[in-house]
Amino acid sequence: MTAIIALLSSDIVQTVLIGAALLGAISGMLGAFAVLRRQSLLGDALSHAALPGVCLGFLIAGGRDLGSVMVGAFATGALAALVMMLIVRRTSLKTDAALGIVLSVFFAVGIVLLTVIQTQGGSGSLGLMTFLFGQAAAILRSDLWVMGGVGLVALLLVLAFWKEFKLVSFDAAFARAQGFPVTALEAVLTVMVALAIVVGLQLVGVVLMVALLIAPAAAARQWTNSLGGMVVLSAAIGAASGAGGALVSATTRGLATGPVVVLIATGIVMVSLLIAPRRGLVWQAAAARRARARISDGRVLATLQGFAQMHDDAGYPSERGMLQVALGVKPPAATLASLESRGLIRSVTHPPETTPHWELTTAGNSEAAALSGEPETKQRTK
Amino acid sequence: MRDDTLHEPEQALHVEDLTVTYGANPVLWDIDLDIPPGVMCAIVGPNGAGKSTLIKAALGLVRPVAGHVRFLGRPIGQMRGQIGYVPQRHSVDWDFPTTARDVVEMGLYRDLGWLRRPGKAEHARALAALAEVGMQDYADRQISQLSGGQQQRVFIARALVQDAPILILDEPMAGVDASTEAIIIALLKKLRDAGRTVIVVHHDLTTVQSYFDWLVMLNVRIIAQGPVAQTYSADNLRAAYGRHLAMIAVPAEEAAS
Amino acid sequence: MITAFFQSIPVMIVLTGVLTGISAALLGSFLILRGNAMLTDAISHSIVFGIIVVWLLTGQTSGPVQVLGAAVTGVLTVVLSELLARSRLVKMDAAIGLVFPALFAAGVILISINARNVHLDVDSVLLGEIGFVWLNTVALFGVDVPVAVATLGAVLVVNLTFVLVLWKELKLATFDAGLAAALGFLPGVLHYAILTLTSVTAVAAFDAVGAILFIAFVVVPPATAYLLTRRLWLMVMLAVGFAMAAVISGYFLALHWNVSIGGMMASMTGVWFTLALLFAPAQGLVAQALRARTERLDHDCRALVAHLFTHQDTPAMAEENTLRALVSHLRWTAPRARAAVLRAHDRDLIERRDGLLCLRPKGTAEVEAIFGRSNA
Repeated sequence: MTAIIALLSSDIVQTVLIGAALLGAISGMLGAFAVLRRQSLLGDALSHAALPGVCLGFLIAGGRDLGSVMVGAFATGALAALVMMLIVRRTSLKTDAALGIVLSVFFAVGIVLLTVIQTQGGSGSLGLMTFLFGQAAAILRSDLWVMGGVGLVALLLVLAFWKEFKLVSFDAAFARAQGFPVTALEAVLTVMVALAIVVGLQLVGVVLMVALLIAPAAAARQWTNSLGGMVVLSAAIGAASGAGGALVSATTRGLATGPVVVLIATGIVMVSLLIAPRRGLVWQAAAARRARARISDGRVLATLQGFAQMHDDAGYPSERGMLQVALGVKPPAATLASLESRGLIRSVTHPPETTPHWELTTAGNSEAAALSGEPETKQRTK
Repeated sequence: MRDDTLHEPEQALHVEDLTVTYGANPVLWDIDLDIPPGVMCAIVGPNGAGKSTLIKAALGLVRPVAGHVRFLGRPIGQMRGQIGYVPQRHSVDWDFPTTARDVVEMGLYRDLGWLRRPGKAEHARALAALAEVGMQDYADRQISQLSGGQQQRVFIARALVQDAPILILDEPMAGVDASTEAIIIALLKKLRDAGRTVIVVHHDLTTVQSYFDWLVMLNVRIIAQGPVAQTYSADNLRAAYGRHLAMIAVPAEEAAS
Repeated sequence: MITAFFQSIPVMIVLTGVLTGISAALLGSFLILRGNAMLTDAISHSIVFGIIVVWLLTGQTSGPVQVLGAAVTGVLTVVLSELLARSRLVKMDAAIGLVFPALFAAGVILISINARNVHLDVDSVLLGEIGFVWLNTVALFGVDVPVAVATLGAVLVVNLTFVLVLWKELKLATFDAGLAAALGFLPGVLHYAILTLTSVTAVAAFDAVGAILFIAFVVVPPATAYLLTRRLWLMVMLAVGFAMAAVISGYFLALHWNVSIGGMMASMTGVWFTLALLFAPAQGLVAQALRARTERLDHDCRALVAHLFTHQDTPAMAEENTLRALVSHLRWTAPRARAAVLRAHDRDLIERRDGLLCLRPKGTAEVEAIFGRSNA
């Protein structure tokens, strides 16, 4: 315990944690818009395309300088987005092909530049490799200001154009008909995805950046039905994954930050997909089971009513085997017990047979009539 | 070319020599069209006739090769706030995290201008618009939990909230049940009776006569336009639909029976 | 002779690249046409997980068990993504983007944890080590052949056989999945067959080019070919050609500049693509720009004859069928209207009669062709 407190009070660890949480929050916030606008894979292409920019920034600055690396990454990311648009608009190649081309070719050029830097040697070339998989430990205190600045700009943009971003993300055709500058707004949103990538590179690296964009947003979507809630929650999940990943990788030797962050975020997604109220798979399964149970109750009542009408006796006792023939499946004991406890049917013996028989009670008779819409069977006078 | 002079102000929608192509394929050829104010107008035609394109070109969403469009005499740029537009329902993602009231408020974003957020007044207007389509009880419902017909009514409420003199609806009856269709038509007729112009892209010829009072028949070119009573004829239908007409009720037979 | 061939390091490196390029291009052509290019992205990332898991379980770093075992992960990625999308909780693109990074991340962590025991390091996952493929050899018919060459050779034979034997079915399933299903060709089975082979190829090529550069070999040469032709067999042939050209030129440039061989080969696929994008005879950007002017004129010309046809012999003819109406009604600028009229005149579509623009028989025929086509 004291070891953890000592660790957390260390200046370096604090820097790394704050930085990682900040990066995760920015990526989470902007990723929410990317996911809603179905640009998840654009994020993947742009993040791979940032690699040559990182290398160029490194070559030009002559070392690992966060500012020039970010500018470089942003420049090639933006170039990749433009090339994407050119291919999709001006050729008959589909979007997925354009994504694949941009992603792989830009990355290949980045690899070539990477080897150029490595053959040049220099002390910082190892620091560059961290951009492939992220290394939160490499975050410096001075870097925090740069990240904070970018985060603040992104936050202000989102707040200022909140309703326009919402409208364009939901219904671009309506926005255009209303006279909003849709193309410009979409460009701003894409630029912000590129910004999120540039910022997140430090933490998770170019290869896994896409997960930091998508996973927090996909998890957040399951818990909330409002855009505001989704964006805030997505930022929070991004921050938690970032900080968690940084902590684990800082305390485990030889573990890159990116994969750890991604696995934490994926874990949160899996939990969300399973148990989120109303949407989660467990929740859906329970609802489906309740619906089946309801139908099953109704069908048992209807079958009993059918037998009663056939024999013109509301209290006609039916054997479980008869119900099985009529329903196709043996009515579960639980269903019969539940109906009995609700006072809709009662178990009777029907001598000389020894197996239990079931008949509709008066309440059950009216319930069955209400369900089927047929008149109640008259009680036979005994 | 900018041209802001008033032109044909007595028509709700005036289209002149409009030609639209996608690549080398003609979608609309030389459309001349006038829809007077205060009518409830159906735009009909076979699949691929360019019905939706006509609307999109009129709203400035698609750039024409030639021609021009006027709403109440003014170009679309000056009229954006005064046209309520209901796109096709399946054009958006209904799993978007938002509520019915929120969608309706989107109709007010233009009036609000940049930076301002919807407040109490906008909430009230959105609720009133939802009440008009009978959806006030679903205001805070997540839109994915609404049925197709309810989603369509939310879309219409978003156009109503603008209080626009001209309403344009793209296939509002597609994929909704009969009772929703009746509600929508009753609402549109009420709007028409209040003096609005209602323009609907419609696909069901059998209901044209009972729903609408003005008709535009389209098949890449304008086949016929005018009051339904005069335009809905076997000849025009044959010209618009060609050999596909066998499946459609021909009015001459209805008149005979 | 044969021994000398297989002992020449440069030849083995280029041969490995060529085998990778051809195997990838064969499948890539169909992936591109089916709109599944980004599934390659998912597959090639997530096989990293499969490779390390199979190694942990069996201790094998190559051979059929490794190739097939790891390939399962690739197909699994696609299946998981499709299942996730079917739950409707997330869209397909987000589902892909959730599954493969998770598997890739898990793979990288497993490699990091076992770093001392495994021949892989994290960098080679991304870059591959095509320069060192000749180190690991296997004896085939008495000749020491690099393992990568032997594996990729086998994969190429499988891919080639698949494409040649099922050519007709693949073609049909690619262009009309509905008809293929109706004819009983099981497009779903073909879909997964292509993805399985893509996975297998990715695993086989992994040592040489790594996880991400492989995407370039699958996607870029077929996309380049697609800009040049619409005939499937020619597209496949061209894709293979571009892949080989990229491998060979990439190798020599990499030597010349002393940079990553795999990276340079993949970059060269991008160079061919850029050249095709700019200079393809019909679809290239330059050709498009050159054509745009005449094409716009032709468009205007057709709009003009359609306009004249609509108003011919109507009361409005005197007003509509004039040069002035083109400016005031069609909202064309005066030079544009004059150019369209001149062009139509030159093509013998229209003539001037009593100050009005009238259609010549050829013009009427053109309009009828336009309207007839759109009504068909």
